[in-house]
Amino acid sequence: LADLLNLCTSQQLSFVRQYVDPLLKKDPFTSLPNEICLRVLSCIDDPKVLARASQVSQRWRELLADDVTWMKLCAKHDYGRRMSEAHITTPPFSSLRPPPNPIHGYFDGEGTYSFPSAIAAAPHIQRNSRSFDSATSSAVLRRPKMRSYKSHFKQRYLVETAWKTGGRNIARHITQDQGVVTSLHLTPKYIVVALDNAKIHVFNTDGNAQKTLQGHVMGVWAMVPWEDTLVSGGCDRDVRVWDMATGESIHTLRGHTSTVRCLKMSDANTAISGSRDTTLRVWDIKTGLCKNVLVGHQASVRCLEIKGDIVVSGSYDTTARVWSISEGRCLRTLSGHFSQIYAIAFDGNRIATGSLDTSVRIWDPNDGSCQAILQGHTSLVGQLQMRGNTLVTGGSDGSVRVWSLEKMAPIHRLAAHDNSVTSLQFDDTRVVSGGSDGRVKVWDLKTGLLVRELTAPADAVWRVAFEEEKCVVMASRSNRTIMEVWSFSPPEEQLM
Amino acid sequence: MSEGPAQTIVLQSNDNVAITVERKVAERSMLIKNMLEDLAGSELDSAIPIPNVNESVLKKVIEWCEHHKNDPQTAADDDSDSRKKTTDIEEWDQKFMQVDQEMLFEIILASNYLDIKPLLDVGCKTVANMIKGKSPEEIRKTFNITNDFTPEEEEQIRRENEWAEDR
Repeated sequence: LADLLNLCTSQQLSFVRQYVDPLLKKDPFTSLPNEICLRVLSCIDDPKVLARASQVSQRWRELLADDVTWMKLCAKHDYGRRMSEAHITTPPFSSLRPPPNPIHGYFDGEGTYSFPSAIAAAPHIQRNSRSFDSATSSAVLRRPKMRSYKSHFKQRYLVETAWKTGGRNIARHITQDQGVVTSLHLTPKYIVVALDNAKIHVFNTDGNAQKTLQGHVMGVWAMVPWEDTLVSGGCDRDVRVWDMATGESIHTLRGHTSTVRCLKMSDANTAISGSRDTTLRVWDIKTGLCKNVLVGHQASVRCLEIKGDIVVSGSYDTTARVWSISEGRCLRTLSGHFSQIYAIAFDGNRIATGSLDTSVRIWDPNDGSCQAILQGHTSLVGQLQMRGNTLVTGGSDGSVRVWSLEKMAPIHRLAAHDNSVTSLQFDDTRVVSGGSDGRVKVWDLKTGLLVRELTAPADAVWRVAFEEEKCVVMASRSNRTIMEVWSFSPPEEQLM
Repeated sequence: MSEGPAQTIVLQSNDNVAITVERKVAERSMLIKNMLEDLAGSELDSAIPIPNVNESVLKKVIEWCEHHKNDPQTAADDDSDSRKKTTDIEEWDQKFMQVDQEMLFEIILASNYLDIKPLLDVGCKTVANMIKGKSPEEIRKTFNITNDFTPEEEEQIRRENEWAEDR
């Protein structure tokens, strides 16, 4: 054969080549066993490549329909699944499926489904688990067909893509006058907005006005929702309990002698308020009685956080205190900050405090020791959220910092805003920050890169809150307070 | 060269060619390594038959093992790194994999049989890279695959997969 080819002219050779080349080509997916084919596919992390590959031939399509590939892709993209969707239709290659679903790891722990906690507040674990069912069931109701990893991947991919470049939004004017938004909550059922003009507005999650809660006579500075219940407080020193479904005022809780500055709930019956009068009060909101007054701080109580039977408070007296709710007494005083504490986060294992002294301190709630002083901000640290081993802080210096609590060291320093960071929230994927420079920025939590700027620049952004497929922005535009509700849900027809 | 004679073993391909290799090189194959461990102590005087692999492929696999003989052994079975950059291949391996498709698939099959995970990974990544960035038609051309869809099916599948395309 070699002799024969040696006799050929180059023209003849290229003819031979044209003839031979295809013969040297082989379909890998018919040459190799399924197990190896799927291994090849698992090397691909771009869904576009997989989608195109499934259009090659029947054999390729059949392989690409295998959910293992999509499951791995889900894992690579950190697309956790919610429990109720974790059952899968009949697997084509069941023997290849790893027995325990490895993706469970992503949502077993806390905060995989990121229930929108208060901005700048650490997620309430106990509240997370409560809201999990309702949130999940509503999602399942909306998309009953979501079963396979492929469809799950598709849905999450479309949501992620929308977060990066798309999304639809509606804008609403909140008040005739220019009210400053002091608090914003996004729950599975409601968007709740409190203003310094004494009003609280309740919207459904699509941004349609439901109720206006009127009763406070001065600015509302703190509020906390719990299913249909809302507890609020402000300059008029009253703590009020509302039913958001009916708009009814249920209780007016009196006792504080100065502005109520912070509010949290530990269960459906118990709210705790912190006030400029230096005390915290524990309220039974069903009976309307004050169960305890926590006395000890020497100045205004600015922030608080609850986990189990423990409430931690941060004060302008530069200390934070750890209290037992049931015993109504102070267990420990955390001293060390040189100036007022403005923000606090607590997950049961660690306490993080942000202060006017520009530092963030991490404390052990059990012995009150200071485990670390995180330095880097050059001004007041007023925004703080902790999730697992990650802490994100925002300061009046305009920067947002992502910290590792394992190493007690910074991971990312984001030059986020020209002015104060007014609002901050993060989940497993992203950080969303709002600033008094009027901008809303979405950041990639892992890389620390700017993903996009959401919405056109406003005069100022008061508050931002988000969940998986939704983001609410409260901002001031041309001297009017507006609410923008962004949706990143793929249109129904795309999910078919 | 300075190592003693006990440091080499003989492998026999399925077309009956005996190939002498350094033991350390052969032990990149977990199959051979385990086999040698099972035989520990007993005399190793005969060639180890490799029934599924022919001479040319076996030589190629040995060439890879030779080059990678000093690589740190990867932990038994960790798919954890599969989550990292998935199709990065080091330069030497890229060159090594510049073979015709027949040989490429043979190497993949052989590394699977011989249980050489890193080589299997390089092989799979090489194939994955041949798929990446191509339209369905280009993929068909690359591997000489016949389009066995009806035009209706093709259109339906195209629509099913539209979501992943950049919009």
